[in-house]
Amino acid sequence: MNPELIKLVEEWKGKDGNLIMILHEIQNHHGYVPRELSLELSKMLDIPLARIYEVITFYNFFKLSPPGKHLIRICMGTACYLRGASLILEEMKNILGVQEGQTTKDGLFYLDVVRCLGCCGLAPVLMIDNKVYGKVKKSEIADILSKYIKEE
Amino acid sequence: MAKLTPDELEKISKSNHEKSSNWIKVGMSTCGIAAGAGEIFDFLLEEVKKRNLQIEVKKCGCQGNCYAEPLVEVSVEGLPAVTYGKVNKEVATKIIEKHVIAKMLVNDYIYDSLT
Amino acid sequence: MYEKTVLIKDTDLRREDKTRQAYTQFLDHLRQNDQHSRIQVVRVADVGLYDKGLVIKVLPDRITYANVQDRDLERIANSLCENKEAIKDLVYKPKVKQEKLALRNCGKIDPENINEYIACGGYLGLKRAIFELGAEKVIEEVKTGAIRGRGGAGYPTWLKWNFACKVSSEQKFVICNADEGDPGAYMDRSILEGDPHSVLEGLIVAAFAVGASRAYFYVRAEYPLAVERIEKAIKAAYDYGLLGKNILGSSFCLDAEIRLGAGAFVCGEETALISSIEGRRGTPHPRPPYPSIKGLWGKPTVINNVETLANIPQLISKGGKWFAQIGTETSKGTKVFAVTGKVKNSGLVEIAMGATLREIVVDLCGGTLSGGPIKAIQTGGPSGGVIPQELLDTPVDYENLQKLGSIMGSGGMIVMDEDDCMVDIPKFYLGFCVDESCGKCAPCRIGGFQMLNYLKKITEGRGELNDLIHLKRISYAMQKASLCGLGQTASNPVLSTLKYFENEYIEHIVNKRCPAGKCNHLITYKVIEDKCKRCGLCSTNCPVNAISGDKEKGYSIIQEKCIKCGRCFEVCKFKAIYKK
Repeated sequence: MNPELIKLVEEWKGKDGNLIMILHEIQNHHGYVPRELSLELSKMLDIPLARIYEVITFYNFFKLSPPGKHLIRICMGTACYLRGASLILEEMKNILGVQEGQTTKDGLFYLDVVRCLGCCGLAPVLMIDNKVYGKVKKSEIADILSKYIKEE
Repeated sequence: MAKLTPDELEKISKSNHEKSSNWIKVGMSTCGIAAGAGEIFDFLLEEVKKRNLQIEVKKCGCQGNCYAEPLVEVSVEGLPAVTYGKVNKEVATKIIEKHVIAKMLVNDYIYDSLT
Repeated sequence: MYEKTVLIKDTDLRREDKTRQAYTQFLDHLRQNDQHSRIQVVRVADVGLYDKGLVIKVLPDRITYANVQDRDLERIANSLCENKEAIKDLVYKPKVKQEKLALRNCGKIDPENINEYIACGGYLGLKRAIFELGAEKVIEEVKTGAIRGRGGAGYPTWLKWNFACKVSSEQKFVICNADEGDPGAYMDRSILEGDPHSVLEGLIVAAFAVGASRAYFYVRAEYPLAVERIEKAIKAAYDYGLLGKNILGSSFCLDAEIRLGAGAFVCGEETALISSIEGRRGTPHPRPPYPSIKGLWGKPTVINNVETLANIPQLISKGGKWFAQIGTETSKGTKVFAVTGKVKNSGLVEIAMGATLREIVVDLCGGTLSGGPIKAIQTGGPSGGVIPQELLDTPVDYENLQKLGSIMGSGGMIVMDEDDCMVDIPKFYLGFCVDESCGKCAPCRIGGFQMLNYLKKITEGRGELNDLIHLKRISYAMQKASLCGLGQTASNPVLSTLKYFENEYIEHIVNKRCPAGKCNHLITYKVIEDKCKRCGLCSTNCPVNAISGDKEKGYSIIQEKCIKCGRCFEVCKFKAIYKK
């Protein structure tokens, strides 16, 4: 059994409703929730695997497959939408060659759309990993992405 | 930190958290950080240390003028406390050299609201 | 040091900026009178007033002069040089001012330092609650203050607490709902990041009043900084004995922890939130029973919004009567609004209930980005409606907004101008609701989807007039029969835009035209011949070869082939492509 997972479950064992918090910790570490870990978790918590999957598939946050090295989240909140977020999204799709919810072939970027990051004063906004980019212009996207490509 | 009694709570509440009238506050909420406040905070800390200035650089939350982030509020004895907006490294340098050291407010970057 | 400071800014939008000129004039005058080392003059970027001509502010007196003409500059300068009183006929008294209650400490204190919070009167509300009032009197105080839930429903807070207090149970819970899901709203995030202790103190007071022994913060996972600051606040409170056993030496004990959301808008609804904390899918449950009676793990549970809780400490320490002085007859206190969209100064505004929409969006936030007219203001997020320009002088409170077909909601205020389409906006919101619908009840699951289809039809030029009747029928069905607020209010944007902008829907359906120029399928792109320089850039960039022509004859767009992607419009350097 996975020693990290054992430690995690031990930490949350006594607390009711711990499943979502445990899933968050797993995803923080791995970027997604691997099936093998879900299987082990089901044994450790003594709950059916279906219950774990019904929770993972309900919440937008949890991913079932590896998301790529960098997570791109484009805010599609109302303020960002009004200030051109759809154009930003289209440009991202064109440059990366993927649709929402997909990873680029080189595994470098995963493109996701979120509903409101809460930075509406800087609309339109996108996040790459934990960095927030505000007042993004369509023309700046290639430059922003190239920084991450250059790091490779 | 020990557990407080009601009297100790009163005592702290009467203390002045602004021990000096010389301080710089940088708005460090998510929107401020997204606009670059993190780098400005580090830059100001470094400059204050480099130039050996007697002024504290602190972080604070968002006061609401999100359109003008990064926001930096400066209080120097003898001058009114003012808030600078859209602060980049160039403006931050002016704040240090003109406002803090030469005791003159910097032109064109102050955001003064009605309250 | 300088005795006085003069701030100068020209706020007139129509003419050339006179700030520099006025600054030089003023400074010259001071120099002539040898007063320039006593009075400092500064050009500023913003004075909090818009379209009020040349504005001059004098500090520390806080005198504001507006619409200052050239000839008045000397008068003002003289009055300062000679230490005279303010010139009454030039003084500007703003009609509206922000009043910061929930945001009182934001931007002032270090949110990660509990001592700074205490030095601003922090935790004195809790002290008064425990040692002077007792649980019942705390609820009385909240009743006198008449504060209503700031999360959107506007339910009287004291009532919720009272129901839970009266139920006998060996365990009760209080929850802070920090799952701020409305797109365009970030008031709660700012309060949690800027003054987390104010919310924590409010939550502890709530727990004391109802007799709870456990408190939870349910926070969106999309707010990592807020989570970090709440974590630090909880730890500092434990260290100081403001959480845990025997709080402040009393017999009151409370434990608090954080639970994260995971990207489900529906979990902002109370019963869905409870399911989520219980580690299950966030689907709502029928009410009754209400959470105050039977909530988390079947126990009495009080759930309050972040802004509601942030107001509690002051309400308790200064008293309900003090709080009730602010606001209108039915809506007491202040409200924090997140003003965003096509507005010049996007940000947070906290103001007493009763201020008008115009005062908030124009006077405090500078009006539209373009300077043009406001088309509508959308309030209440996906559950709200639009308020057209003619009604901007409506005082904002819970009842007034409802009468107009919208709601207060959590406080999001989206400003729209003539480039925003009143059919596209409800389509955006319906898309959101369809994505976020939990799927449990048919009216929301199927109704939302069908409404979205009709809106897509209309915006893609395939609409029929009957569609409007279908939209209304489905709306009423969803309102009556959906299990929770998400489904019940999902149709508000549609009903509201139909009420005030039906002509736009008809234009889309009958004339296949989008007046705002937003709906791609209904836009026509044409080459403007007299501006066209025949460079051919548009033709080279057209992905479907829909632009034909050459250097001699010029270029034209073949409408049947055009996919309306807008590339030609973007690449043309001479603005020779017409888009409408």
